[in-house]
Amino acid sequence: MAGPKRIAIEATELGKAYRIYPSPAKRIAEALTWGRYQGHHAFWALQNCSFKLSPGASMGLCGANGAGKSTLLKVLAGTTAPTKGGYRIDGRVASLLELGAGFHMEFTGRANIVMNGVMMGFSKREILSKVDEIIDFAELGDYIDEPVRTYSSGMGLRLGFAVAVAVDPDLLIIDEVFAVGDMYFQKKCVDKVYEFKRKNKTILFCSHSLYDVRQLCDEAIWLNHGKVMAQGDSVFVTNEYSAFQRHNIGEMEEVLGDIFPTKTFEQDEAPRQLPGIKDARIYKLGTDEEIYQITTGDSIEIRIWWFNPTPEETPVHLGLAFMRQDMTTCGGMGTHLDGLELLGTGGCAIVRIPDIHLLSGQFLVPVVLFDEEGVHKYQEYLMPDNLTVRTHTRDVGLFRLEHEWEFTEDAVPPAREDPQEGTEKVKAGEGA
Amino acid sequence: MNPEPESAVAAASSASLPLREEDGWVTARPTPFTEVLARLVMLPKLVLEHRDLITTSVRRDLEIRFRGTLLGWIWPLIHPMFLFIVYYFIFTKLLNFKIPELPEGQESAMGIYMFCGIMAWAGISESLTRGTNVIVDSGNLIKKLAFPSEILPLNVTLVSMITFGFALAVFLGGCYFTPIWPPPDPVLLLWIPALLGVQALFTYGLVLLLSTLQVFLRDTLQIVGVVTTVWMFVTPLFWVPELMGESVKPYQGMIELNPVYHLVQAWRGVLMGEVTVPLDGVPTTVIDTTRIASSIGIFALWALGAYIIGYVLFILSQRRFADEV
Repeated sequence: MAGPKRIAIEATELGKAYRIYPSPAKRIAEALTWGRYQGHHAFWALQNCSFKLSPGASMGLCGANGAGKSTLLKVLAGTTAPTKGGYRIDGRVASLLELGAGFHMEFTGRANIVMNGVMMGFSKREILSKVDEIIDFAELGDYIDEPVRTYSSGMGLRLGFAVAVAVDPDLLIIDEVFAVGDMYFQKKCVDKVYEFKRKNKTILFCSHSLYDVRQLCDEAIWLNHGKVMAQGDSVFVTNEYSAFQRHNIGEMEEVLGDIFPTKTFEQDEAPRQLPGIKDARIYKLGTDEEIYQITTGDSIEIRIWWFNPTPEETPVHLGLAFMRQDMTTCGGMGTHLDGLELLGTGGCAIVRIPDIHLLSGQFLVPVVLFDEEGVHKYQEYLMPDNLTVRTHTRDVGLFRLEHEWEFTEDAVPPAREDPQEGTEKVKAGEGA
Repeated sequence: MNPEPESAVAAASSASLPLREEDGWVTARPTPFTEVLARLVMLPKLVLEHRDLITTSVRRDLEIRFRGTLLGWIWPLIHPMFLFIVYYFIFTKLLNFKIPELPEGQESAMGIYMFCGIMAWAGISESLTRGTNVIVDSGNLIKKLAFPSEILPLNVTLVSMITFGFALAVFLGGCYFTPIWPPPDPVLLLWIPALLGVQALFTYGLVLLLSTLQVFLRDTLQIVGVVTTVWMFVTPLFWVPELMGESVKPYQGMIELNPVYHLVQAWRGVLMGEVTVPLDGVPTTVIDTTRIASSIGIFALWALGAYIIGYVLFILSQRRFADEV
């Protein structure tokens, strides 16, 4: 590994097993026999995970609940020891396994900033020099000198995030923190993460939203029951994962995360005028006739009336998707995906879609106003009606694929040279 | 950045190489003996490195107790003061307990004698009952933040030493400003820092040991409750071993096996002087530096033993705390 290229974080065959004792008596028996009697059985929360990241890279972890994502982050954050393999990190680590872990409710926000900071291994002086910056980022104003128990949950989260990112780490470990807080806060978090990326910091990140993973990360690992199912380029991994998820009807919510992240948020305060969507409708292409029932092969246009009071501070992008009722995204487009810019303080965006190939069914058409990175959603607007498509042909599937048939007399297929094409997939255990 | 999946294969195949700690690898290998030894010796360095964390959390612990109260910081003084007054009146005035060998005017000092012992004992027993659960109670911190967890038992120890300090201040204040008991010899006051030091070391060792055991066996807290009650009665708090006469003699050896016996004797020696009965029959309190030094010495050995056993067990188990709490 002795190369000139620096490695920010490296893990080799990392594994973590938890010991499960059926009863305290077995635990004592094991302790008294100095481990010769094995009273426990091991539960492997993570197995054989290897990766390497260079400075400035970011890696996302995806997988269902209990897949081992949090375990991996905990091991790397140093709160729990690995059972197999090892890891090494070059530089200072900040981990956000939980926002506001260690906050004490009876103390003021200011006192908690200092306590949380020294808990994360920074000196009081370092923290005190950053207090103003932290208060500024958390936007708590005069509340900073009130006890934390008087804070709304959103304020507590803002403070926790502000402390964690203020300390300027080389490696940032984040566990599912974007899924909480109001929209404005989520936007700030995402911006901060991008700022980290620009500063050549390394980010490890875990999310249920495949969309976030794809947008924020260069690489990704998909874990399932502690095993690495796929790893590598984030687009490749998220596609593998969502393909797998489609077979798992029980976990439909995760499929929704494929293109449009599902986030719960509380609107505990709306301090400023955010960008938004006024209305969106579907018309027959080139006419003013509103239409929500079409036939395969029809042409439509979608008009979106949007506004953005502060285009300098909050550049926006528009996106929309066609989703079948089982939440399969059949198609989607966005100004950020097409490399376009949405300028000005508002207007009407028209998407023309000639010759729709969708086959019969009901389609949800969510229209989304994104931030400039295409990660954070300012608003998700649903059409007044679902799009109903009827089909006169007897094609099967989601789309009608343009095709034609031809019949010849030739009954012998030509010989092939190499019948085995290599697959690109990396499965767990292959490299061991 | 290496988006190709092949990079993962390359990383995985390098696993056959040994991962050495010297190269910065964190592995599953148990803490080596040399590192355990190094950490035993280097505790002051750890304390110095994390002094901000320690002072902040000790202050927080103290503040939590008195925050929102009307009298605030006066409370830690009020508790020992009342204890002092109660012991003084019940044993000295009400029951008229006497230590017959004491010189004229000091016969009814039994209350003060008891207060002195209980003060030292309370410092230890409070740490044990509060400290046994400290790792389990801080489970969320241990799971979510990476910090040296030996700081948690240390905080408990320091907090109890500080409350003990308040009681000590009350005692000395009582000696200097009231006629109840003469103030100790100024030379003897020099022993106080040493005594505080060994008491803190002993307490810390026990809290390290018990908080570790509690993580793996939750019965520990119950056992500690029973043991401290028994321990309190076998320690000469309510009785004076020198004055019990023949009934105590056969057990003197066992009594002296109790480390807190030596601690209490040392505190009494420093704060109250030694009660002696010379041959000519006129009892006096004298300062017996040799007795004090030997009491402290024996207790210091116990303290060192408790620290070594407690901290070694703690270090060896530390890596599993986050999985068990």
